[in-house]
Amino acid sequence: MVLVLAIGDLHIPHRAPDLPPKFKSMLVPGKIQHIICTGNLCIKEVHDYFKSLCPDLHVTRGECDEDSRYPENKTLTIGQFKLGICHGHQVIPWGDLDSLAMLQRQLDVDILVTGHTHQFKAYKHEGGVVINPGSATGAYSSFTYDVNPSFVLMDIDGLRVVVYVYELIDGEVKVDKIDFKKTSTTRSAH
Amino acid sequence: MVRKRVPDWLNSSLWSTTPSDDRFHRYSPSPTAAVSEPAVQPPVPVPPPAAASRPQSSPTPPKSEIRDPVNDNSNNNSNDSDENGSSSDVSPEDISRQAQLLVELSKKVVNMRELRRIASQGIPDGAGIRSTVWKLLLGYLPPDRGQWSSELAKKRSQYKHFKEELLMNPSEITRRLEKSAGCDNDESKSESSGLLSRSQITHGEHPLSLGKSSIWNQFFQDSEIIEQIDRDVKRTHPDMHFFSGDSQLAKSNQDALRNILIVFAKLNPGIRYVQGMNEILAPLFYVFRNDTDEEMAAAAEADTFFCFVELLSGFRDHFCQQLDNSNVGIRSTITRLSQLLKEHDEELWRHLEVTTKVNPQFYAFRWITLLLTQEFNFADSLHIWDTLLSDPEGPLETLLRVCCAMLILVRRRLLAGDFTSNLKLLQNYPPANVSHLLYVANKLRTQGSG
Repeated sequence: MVLVLAIGDLHIPHRAPDLPPKFKSMLVPGKIQHIICTGNLCIKEVHDYFKSLCPDLHVTRGECDEDSRYPENKTLTIGQFKLGICHGHQVIPWGDLDSLAMLQRQLDVDILVTGHTHQFKAYKHEGGVVINPGSATGAYSSFTYDVNPSFVLMDIDGLRVVVYVYELIDGEVKVDKIDFKKTSTTRSAH
Repeated sequence: MVRKRVPDWLNSSLWSTTPSDDRFHRYSPSPTAAVSEPAVQPPVPVPPPAAASRPQSSPTPPKSEIRDPVNDNSNNNSNDSDENGSSSDVSPEDISRQAQLLVELSKKVVNMRELRRIASQGIPDGAGIRSTVWKLLLGYLPPDRGQWSSELAKKRSQYKHFKEELLMNPSEITRRLEKSAGCDNDESKSESSGLLSRSQITHGEHPLSLGKSSIWNQFFQDSEIIEQIDRDVKRTHPDMHFFSGDSQLAKSNQDALRNILIVFAKLNPGIRYVQGMNEILAPLFYVFRNDTDEEMAAAAEADTFFCFVELLSGFRDHFCQQLDNSNVGIRSTITRLSQLLKEHDEELWRHLEVTTKVNPQFYAFRWITLLLTQEFNFADSLHIWDTLLSDPEGPLETLLRVCCAMLILVRRRLLAGDFTSNLKLLQNYPPANVSHLLYVANKLRTQGSG
């Protein structure tokens, strides 16, 4: 039972001052084992804050990040799953599921976590699953101001993943979940 | 922690090095430096010239660490003291005590008073007698032998049930909740691609939930306690192979201890887990796990849990911090010890508490809360527990008397010492002849009782 937080596109301080207080109150240290950040934090303070929540932090570079040392992509293995991270501004058209699927096959991962569109999405294709946690602060994106703050918490338990989606809609936190299992058929042969 | 000397008889050539039964290798601690007395009680056949040595029955004299493989009967039914007699040095009282116990245990309805009386003199180490006797003394096994198997089955399944309920992690619990709520998500979605649909969470349960009744929240709150338990379990008796080290045996024993303490903590939210409970648990588990009856030994975890609960029930208040100053808390118990000492040995009492100002809390706290497990080596403390558990009024009275006797036995050194040396002495109680100690404690019962 491993809890992995997928979060990103905060754009602090340029487009948003901070995480919504309701989110902040839920994110306490000691519960989460890994944090995956798609990028665009943008400053070191946010990095430190995440580090305080969980020492195992993985960040990839977003186009507005002030720290240029983050990698473009990252892959890691948690339990039975291979996860890949990429901010997504590199993949054009932005948010296009087929292109992201290409990236996923390239990285050879079961779950690709990506961002940039500031819209939550969870999409399944033969190569695996693409998850976009959206923007945790509700910052405006490159193409819309209509953004709900959201992030994702994955509970990886053996071959099963339960994805909990936390969204702030009209000031209330709504939690949904998505269940999926990894089977041998989702891995296409390369 | 405990200073151990190698007694002379242990070096005697009586001991051969080849154990007759391979099985018992598992229970033997490695031959550590000669200084440490091994965990399993060395069968003591020879009472050295001093009359008050520790009498224990010893069937055959195998290597000191290996328990005696001879008495191998289940439930000690037909064992006979003749089998023990291979060494000619077994004291007759040991044999008679063993025989008496066996007779008692083989009756259809055990006479508890009689059992207590014999047990208070000490239980021999062989044939798993101690395991059965302790279970009877703690009320786990009913006196009527006919009910044993049904009682045992009931309790063991109850423990299994507890474990299943309480040791499950929240992911599994959520899965079970979903199943019962009838949401059968996974299999229906076998589309090869498409947006994954979001579904509702059951009962508002999610991992970051801050709700008091949320299973996730409770899980994280419990995880602190579980960490504490884990740390203490790993530190229990580091010198004993049974409890500590990398062997398969030690790991599985540690797991058992951990499970018992976690289940206890979850079932008792008022008291949870307090450091020290692992020390009280250890001897119980050790004795039950080393039962010569395979079936009993396999179910040791469940049995130990219930006996632990029973044993602790008399001492719970000592572990509750809020009760410290109340008249059931540890302070008042320590005061009772103090009173007892004053009654029996006023001179010593005055010297200790008034002259040298050695507040009994400094030494007696550990003596009382941990039931003397830390003051003597493991084997001796089992012997002391025989006497403690056989007290019909509960171990506390006897415990206080034994503590008092401990003070009286070193009175000369105490009277000659100042604060520092007395405190040092009492916090590192010197190895003593336990039988003599218990004898003195017993005498305190009869003399001067107001």
